[in-house]
Amino acid sequence: MTAVWIEVGHFAALTALVLALLQTGAGIRGGVAERPVWLRVAKQAALMVAVLLTVANLSLVISFLQHDFSVRYVAMHASLRLPVFYLATALWGGHEGSLLFWVWLLSLFSAVATWRHWTTHPRSLPWLLAILGAILVGFLLLVLFLSSPFERLFPAPADGRDLNPMLQDPGMVFHPPFLYLGYVGFSIPYAFAMAALIHGRSGAEWVLAMRRWTLFAWAMLSTGIVFGAYWAYYVLGWGGYWAWDPVENASFMPWLTATAFLHSVMVQERRGMFRTWNLFLIITTFALSLLGTFLVRSGVLSSVHAFANDPGRGVFILAFMAVVLLFSFGVLILRADLLKSDAARLDSLVCKESAFLFNNLFFVVAALTVLLGTLYPLAMETLAGAKVSVGAPYFNKVFVPIMLGMLALMGVGLVIPWRRGSGRLLLRELAPFLPPALLAPLLAWFGGVRHPYGLIGIGLVVFVFATHARDFYRGVRTRRRQEGVSLLSALGRLIARNRRRYGGVITHLGILLMVVGFIGSGLLHQERDLVLRPGDVTDIGPWRLTFETLRPVARDNWQADEAVVRAVKGEVTRVLLPQKRLYHGSPQPMAEAAIYATWREDLYVVLGDAVGEGGRAFRIYLNPLVRWIWWGAGVMALGVGVALTQGRRLPRRKEPVGEG
Amino acid sequence: MVEIDKRVLLSVTAVVVGGALLTLLYTSFTDSLVYFHTPTEIWEKSTDFKGRKVRIGGMVQAGSLVRKAGTLEVNFTLTDGKGEVMTHYTGVLPDLFREGQGAVVEGVWRGGSPYFDATTVLAKHSEDYVPVSMSQEGLERARRSILKSVQ
Repeated sequence: MTAVWIEVGHFAALTALVLALLQTGAGIRGGVAERPVWLRVAKQAALMVAVLLTVANLSLVISFLQHDFSVRYVAMHASLRLPVFYLATALWGGHEGSLLFWVWLLSLFSAVATWRHWTTHPRSLPWLLAILGAILVGFLLLVLFLSSPFERLFPAPADGRDLNPMLQDPGMVFHPPFLYLGYVGFSIPYAFAMAALIHGRSGAEWVLAMRRWTLFAWAMLSTGIVFGAYWAYYVLGWGGYWAWDPVENASFMPWLTATAFLHSVMVQERRGMFRTWNLFLIITTFALSLLGTFLVRSGVLSSVHAFANDPGRGVFILAFMAVVLLFSFGVLILRADLLKSDAARLDSLVCKESAFLFNNLFFVVAALTVLLGTLYPLAMETLAGAKVSVGAPYFNKVFVPIMLGMLALMGVGLVIPWRRGSGRLLLRELAPFLPPALLAPLLAWFGGVRHPYGLIGIGLVVFVFATHARDFYRGVRTRRRQEGVSLLSALGRLIARNRRRYGGVITHLGILLMVVGFIGSGLLHQERDLVLRPGDVTDIGPWRLTFETLRPVARDNWQADEAVVRAVKGEVTRVLLPQKRLYHGSPQPMAEAAIYATWREDLYVVLGDAVGEGGRAFRIYLNPLVRWIWWGAGVMALGVGVALTQGRRLPRRKEPVGEG
Repeated sequence: MVEIDKRVLLSVTAVVVGGALLTLLYTSFTDSLVYFHTPTEIWEKSTDFKGRKVRIGGMVQAGSLVRKAGTLEVNFTLTDGKGEVMTHYTGVLPDLFREGQGAVVEGVWRGGSPYFDATTVLAKHSEDYVPVSMSQEGLERARRSILKSVQ
C-alpha cells in the first residue's frame, strides 16, 4: 500500500488549487461588496488550502521515507543508501519539490496572516486574501501542470539516482528553506501594500504589519543567504563564500530592496513621507523574490544551481511575472495619489530623513547593479544570440565603493537628528570620531595594508563602530543616572525599552563584523596551487605544511582518498585531512576541503587530482578573518530577534480610520 | 544667507550622487563584459579578439588531456565538433572537469597558437550538477546556431 500516499497528496494539491481559486474570488467579492460572508468564505478557503498543501508535502516526504521509486521525483533524488535525514529533506532537493515546498510555505503564511490580522485589519483582509489566493493559484498551476513532483514512473526502478552529493550536507539542507521563508515572507507585505492601494486607506496600521512581516522575511532571507555562503565556503571547496553567481545574485536583489524598505519605512512612520516610494520598494522586493525563485527553478541560468530546461515552464513563468508586474505597478500608478503624503516637508538638508534618502539611493543602485549583471547576459543571449558574462570583477568594482558609502551613512545616519540638523551640528557630533577613524588606516598602513579601499574601509569601520558604541554608552549612562542600576541591567533595560531601535543598532554591529571579514578575506587572502609528494613541505603565510601520507577512507555512501597534512605555526600543530570523495552512484569525484579556522585566519586545504610520479595537486588558501563573517551573521540575527519582539505600538482599534 | 529651497538642493545632491554611482556602474559594466565563443567562432574572429579577454566553451576532446607529469600543467583540446582550440592551463582542475564533457575556459586571446593560455577553467554543469555531455545533437545545434549568427 505504499503507493497510495503520493496519490493522496496529488489529490490534496488539486483540491487546494480549486480552493485557492475560491479564496481569490471570495476575497475580491468580499472586498468589493464589503460583505463579511464572503470574507469568511475566503478565510475558510485559505485555512483549508494550508491544510491540504500540508498533506501534499507530507505525502511526498512519506514517499521519500518509504523509498517509493514509482514517484519520479523520489527516484531522481533519493536512493536506498541515502541517510534518513537527507531522505526527509530531499523534498526540496530538486526543482519540482522545492516549488511544492514554496507554495506550501505560502499557504501557511497566508493562513497565519489571516488569523493574525483578522480583527486588526478588516479593510485590508479581503484584498490580502484575494492577492495571496491569486499567487497561490499561479504557483499551484505551475506545480501541478508544468513541473509536477507527483509524476509516476512505471515500472518503478529498483533504486533511485540518489541525491546530488553536493546537497548532502547540513548547510545545504537548511539553505533553501530559509531562502524560501524569505521569498515567500515578502508576499505578505506585498499583499498588504496592494490591499492598501486598492482600498485606498492610508492608515498607519497596515504599515506596521507590513514592516514586521518584512523584517521577518528579511531575517529569513539573510539567514538563507548566509547559510548559502557558508555552504559554498565549506562544501564547494573553492576557498570563497560568494562568487556573484546568478543564483546568489537572485537572492541578494530582494535582500537589497528589502533593506532599503526597512530603512525608509521609518521615515514614513515618523514623518509620513516616502509613502509611494515604500510601496514601490515592497512591490519591487516581491517581484525580485519571484524572479529569484524563477531564475533558479526554471533553468534559464547556466550556473551551478541551474535546473532542468523546459520551454513550457519558461513561458508560463514569463507570463506570470508579466501579470504580477503589470498589475502591481499599474495599480501603484493609478492609485498612488490616494496615499499622498500629508504635506510633510524636508526641514533641513542635513537630517535623518535625507540620510535615509541617500541610504535608499545606494541600496537601489546596488540592486540595479546586480540586476543588470544578472539579466544582461540572459537578455543578450535571448535577443542577440551572443553569450556574454560579467564576472566578479564588475560586481566588485561597483560594490566596494557602494558598500563604503553605505558604511559612512551608517555612522552619520545614527548621529544626526530627525528634522532639523545643520552642518555645524553634524561636525560637532562627528568630531570626536575623526581622530580614531583617521588613525586606524594609518596603523593599518604601517601594518602592511596598501589597498586604498582597504584603508578607507578600516577607517569607516572604526568610525561606525565608535558612533554605535557611543550611542549605547550615552543611553546606558542616562539610565544609570536616572535609575541607579548596574551597568549590565542598565544596558538590558535600555534595549528592552526600545527594542526596535536597539535591535537595529545591534544589527548594524553585526554588519560591521561582517564587513571586517569581507575586508580581511577579500583583500588579504593568499592562494596557492601546487604539487606535493608525500614528505614534501610548503609554506603559506606563517604556516608550514607537511604532506605526510595519502590513505583511503570510506563511509555510508562514499569512499575517498584522504591526505594527511600537518600544519605548524609556532606552537600550534594541527592535522588537516582534506579528501577527494567518490559517492556511490555518481561518477564525479568531490573535494572535501579541510579547514583550520581561528578568529585570525582560516587555513583551507583542498586535495586535487593525482598528477603522476606519486604527486597530488593541492590548492591551499589562507583566508584572514573569515570567521568574523559568521559571527557578524550571528550578531545580526540577535539584533533582528530583539527588534521583532517589540509588539505593536499602536493601540488596537476596532475600525481603522483612514486618513485619506 | 540666501534661503535656497531645501528640496531643490537635496534633489540636486541626490541626482549628483546617483549619477556618479550610475556612471561607475556603467563604466565597470562595459569594462567587464566578457564574450563567450565556441572554438569555431573564435577562429573566425581571431583578429578581432586579439588581446581581449574571452571565454571559450566546448567539449574536452576525449583523449586530448595531457599532463606534464608531476606538475600542475595540463594541455587539452576544446572542440565544438568543427573548430578546436588547444588549451594550456596550470592549476588545479575543477572536480567536474573530465574528458568528453563540457568545459569553459577563460583567458586573453593571443591568436591561439600554439596554445590558448587559460587563466580559469570551469566545468559546465547541467541539471542537478551533472556535467553536460556534448551529444551529437548538441554539437549539431551548436553548429547551426553558429551558422545562423554568421549569416
